[in-house]
Amino acid sequence: MSRGQRLGVVLAAVIAFAVGMTALFSLLLGDNPELYGFIANAETVAVLVALPASVLVRLVTITIAFTVIIGMSNLLYVHLGRLARRRFYSLVLILSFAGTIYWYAANRGDTSLLEAVQVPIESSLASLLFLSLVYGGATVLRKRRDGWSLLFIAVVLAVLLGTLPLANLAPLRQWSNWLMTVPVSAGARGMLLGIALATVVTGLRVLLGQDRSYRG
Amino acid sequence: MANTTLQVYSILFVTMTIMLVYTVRFFRVRQQRRSTQRPIASFDRLPVWVGQAVESNRPLHLSFGGAGIGEDSTVVSLASAEFFYHLSLSAGLADAMPIVSTSSTAAIPLGQDTLRRARQSDHQTAPVHWYPQGQRSIAYAAAITELLADENPAAHVLAGSFGSELALILDRADCRQQGTFAVSDQLEGQAIAWAMADEVLIGEELFAAAGYVSAGAAAQADAAAMDVWRGMLIAGLPLLLLFNFVLRLESAGRVLLLLAVLAVAVIGLAAYLRR
Repeated sequence: MSRGQRLGVVLAAVIAFAVGMTALFSLLLGDNPELYGFIANAETVAVLVALPASVLVRLVTITIAFTVIIGMSNLLYVHLGRLARRRFYSLVLILSFAGTIYWYAANRGDTSLLEAVQVPIESSLASLLFLSLVYGGATVLRKRRDGWSLLFIAVVLAVLLGTLPLANLAPLRQWSNWLMTVPVSAGARGMLLGIALATVVTGLRVLLGQDRSYRG
Repeated sequence: MANTTLQVYSILFVTMTIMLVYTVRFFRVRQQRRSTQRPIASFDRLPVWVGQAVESNRPLHLSFGGAGIGEDSTVVSLASAEFFYHLSLSAGLADAMPIVSTSSTAAIPLGQDTLRRARQSDHQTAPVHWYPQGQRSIAYAAAITELLADENPAAHVLAGSFGSELALILDRADCRQQGTFAVSDQLEGQAIAWAMADEVLIGEELFAAAGYVSAGAAAQADAAAMDVWRGMLIAGLPLLLLFNFVLRLESAGRVLLLLAVLAVAVIGLAAYLRR
């Protein structure tokens, strides 16, 4: 790595660290005059402390809006490249892209083409998804032959049967409801808590300049 | 809870996490050779797939799903990028460059930069593949199934934000006998990953993944810091419940409960030592 590149990396890390810490402390300490009760203009101070985070979050929103342009350029770049390798689907994609834009511009913002083609195709694929899910559930024992897989299949069957509107299955329905509201809900919360904790550690790693994504 | 109390707790939590990260790093870096991580069997297949990709000159497919910068899944996308970086680095000998795909436009620069850093030595990069998400991400999944047939990747590493559309990708990959490794920050996607992928991570293990595929002590230390927090949470929740329960008991009941807790602790310790 050349000296100039190293300088760029250091500069990027310093900027990321400064911006990250400013946003963090601004979010943690801003917008609450009670924290600054010992100062005469507590409300003004609270608003001023919250200001950097507010500005930075707005900047992020504006930047993200621009990434749509990056996305479209990327789509064209990738598929024009694939077209050179004679990929038929890329030709279909580029023609559809051009056709949709032309239709939208010629008909003053009419999205009926999108609704008439995209929505039915996506709905058909969603119904295929059901088959994939059933197949995946059925083949779970092929991938994992253990007690957990058996439990998984038993629970899926119980919940599916519990949803049937048959009077004989009323006890199963109650049990299935309990299953969904107690153990499943507890497991889901546990998983979400784990993700939240990991998010904090990873987020701090990024803020403290330990993440590699802007270190070159 | 009052706003001020909440803010004070948040500051304490952040400060404690920073201290924990640095403390664990300090000890881990010092004991790097001796330290071992909690084993996660799912990572064992990754070197095999990377080797297959290198030998058969087929690419690896790495996917962020819907995770992107500036959204709820910002940290997920950063953790995935770090994981993908180390995977791409280990597949550096292959002629076929890894394919990175995403349905979030905000993840395109991140994915591109990950590939650039990983292939810095030979100055080659492939463009990230972006496919618009559409309703329920089905369009993205459909596009990936086409990519999967066209590019014939050796394996798929799907780490990011996925919903039920993951079933389509995993099903197609299974039909083509391509290896699959999946984890999602969404519960639906996570459940499908568990049922259908060859190898799966559970929830927060994604954030520790970089530590398992790299030799860096810092990433391993971060994984250990997460384990410490989780351990404290697992121990803390029942203890608080127990404390709440004890406050409602008479004195004789408290003694009995104390004995029961001691017995459980001794059994747990014995089981741990015999492991």
